[in-house]
Amino acid sequence: MNDEMNEDVAKRLQERLLLGRAVPGDYLVLADATLQAALDGSRPLTAGELAALQASPLTLRRFRHLALANRPAPAWRHSPGMLRAADSGGALDRLVTDDGWWQLHFVGTGPWQVILKLDAAAPFAAQLLREQPLLRVTDGAGASVLTGRLDADGESEAAWPFASAPAVHFQAHGATFAVTAAPR
Amino acid sequence: MRLPGTRYQEHGWEGVRKLLGLCSLAALRACDIDAVLDPARHGALLDDYMEALAPLLHAAARRGGAVPGNSYGDSVADLALGLLFELQMQPGHWSAFANALAAEHAKQGPFWRGAGGDALLRKKVNDLYATLRDKLDADSFQAATGQACSPNRIYTYRMLDMACRAVGAVFAGWPGTAAQVSAILGRDVPASGAYPIEIRQMTSSASCRPEWIVRWSETLERFGAGPGPLHTRSKRFASLRNGVDKIGAMLADIAAYEALSANGDGAGWVHDAGTAAQWMDDLARVSAQSVAAANPEPDRILSPPVDDDVDEAGGLCPAPGYGPPMAYQVALDALQAEALPVRQAVCLKLLGPADDSYPDDWRDSATGELPTLQQLAALAGLSVPTLRKRRDAAIARARPEGERN
Repeated sequence: MNDEMNEDVAKRLQERLLLGRAVPGDYLVLADATLQAALDGSRPLTAGELAALQASPLTLRRFRHLALANRPAPAWRHSPGMLRAADSGGALDRLVTDDGWWQLHFVGTGPWQVILKLDAAAPFAAQLLREQPLLRVTDGAGASVLTGRLDADGESEAAWPFASAPAVHFQAHGATFAVTAAPR
Repeated sequence: MRLPGTRYQEHGWEGVRKLLGLCSLAALRACDIDAVLDPARHGALLDDYMEALAPLLHAAARRGGAVPGNSYGDSVADLALGLLFELQMQPGHWSAFANALAAEHAKQGPFWRGAGGDALLRKKVNDLYATLRDKLDADSFQAATGQACSPNRIYTYRMLDMACRAVGAVFAGWPGTAAQVSAILGRDVPASGAYPIEIRQMTSSASCRPEWIVRWSETLERFGAGPGPLHTRSKRFASLRNGVDKIGAMLADIAAYEALSANGDGAGWVHDAGTAAQWMDDLARVSAQSVAAANPEPDRILSPPVDDDVDEAGGLCPAPGYGPPMAYQVALDALQAEALPVRQAVCLKLLGPADDSYPDDWRDSATGELPTLQQLAALAGLSVPTLRKRRDAAIARARPEGERN
């Protein structure tokens, strides 16, 4: 039995205790501009405003809404994909992740080159091109297919590391693959 | 009708209302309804009712699949469970329900034991949830928009939305409805004449003119089944007869959000452990900055909104007791000292049986959810009433200072 209260549960309970209470006559006690200025640090709340905020579940809900709206979209971490039935016969020249944002191209007839390509329209494309995180492509067994960073064109290229051809190799290793940002 | 933040204002509400009515009758039959006569027993009755109703709603959810209750993808059963869950956070609504039953009892005795008692009981349940849904949606609207909104205002939006549709239906009936169309437009559009341009232009609530609504309501006595909503004796919407500007602004609100949400803007309901951690971190930071800065400026605290729709007597509580900043964090530590089944009972009450923050070893392997209160009581070696008492005491201690009931 887990006897420590897990951090997630504690946060959810706190949230519920703060927001899930009936305060008769509750109303929005702080204007959006006051809340936004507190969130962006340009004008800290006065002691009276802070107390009023904490005493008003409704205003806390507005604060929650604004705070979450201010946060950037969650960063991309991981895109899985799989070998389609149509990929099993013949030579494999291309794989696409399930979300459609990444392609793996296979060039040559042995030895092969593998090229990872990011779709410029991906919602996280600008961020990845700016931050240049280390990326890893793995097969269904977790072995590394490619490790590298994107160039300015959103591509990363390496020599195919396995003896067998791409189609044969993926088929023998779970018929899946994934593109992952290496942990920072 | 869709408005920012609201979830209970679409056609699916009928399904939610019926499900809650049906299951509530069965749940109340399992409770000692006589408890409504003693206000000291209202809290325990709510516990009994909730514990009887939740499994019935869950079973209905499994049986009925996921009948959509709104266009955001919430099922009828989800919405019913959501309301039940809010009910425990709004003790005033439950007291009003219990008092309404007690008032009927004063008139006609224990009608709930009588043969025809179901209909009245169901009506009281309907009233309970109809009021609760508008309260919930009014609060959600305010959180989503930053604009003041009362349950009565939500009701007014709904009436206006309905009125727009009714005007549209009358227009669609032209030339058969030429006499009423003429009365609504305020000019003669005979059935033998040209197709009125207004009919072609009326495509949504955005193009429904406020004066048409007033005239439509006015003409209903003559063309419909009785006085229109702005012209009933109840006077609820009487002020709108001279409020075309207000009607126009509210119609624009409905239309604006309809246009916005038509392309799938339904993500306002993110409630998970991740988002809780994120905004509570922001709250902690803002609180710490406030304490550190000791900003000497005058407070910019807003006055309560003057709501011309308000009929809630004695609404305002002028100065809630302010606790020291972040008092609740200390309070939560006290909860840690409770035995695990008590903490789990707290979670069951505050977060429901299946919150995604629960660790796997808290979950029953058969259901994937927390054990029921009965099972937790057995695990703790306590009776159910004792576990409830410990649970409620723990919650009362963890509540922010000054908010304890």
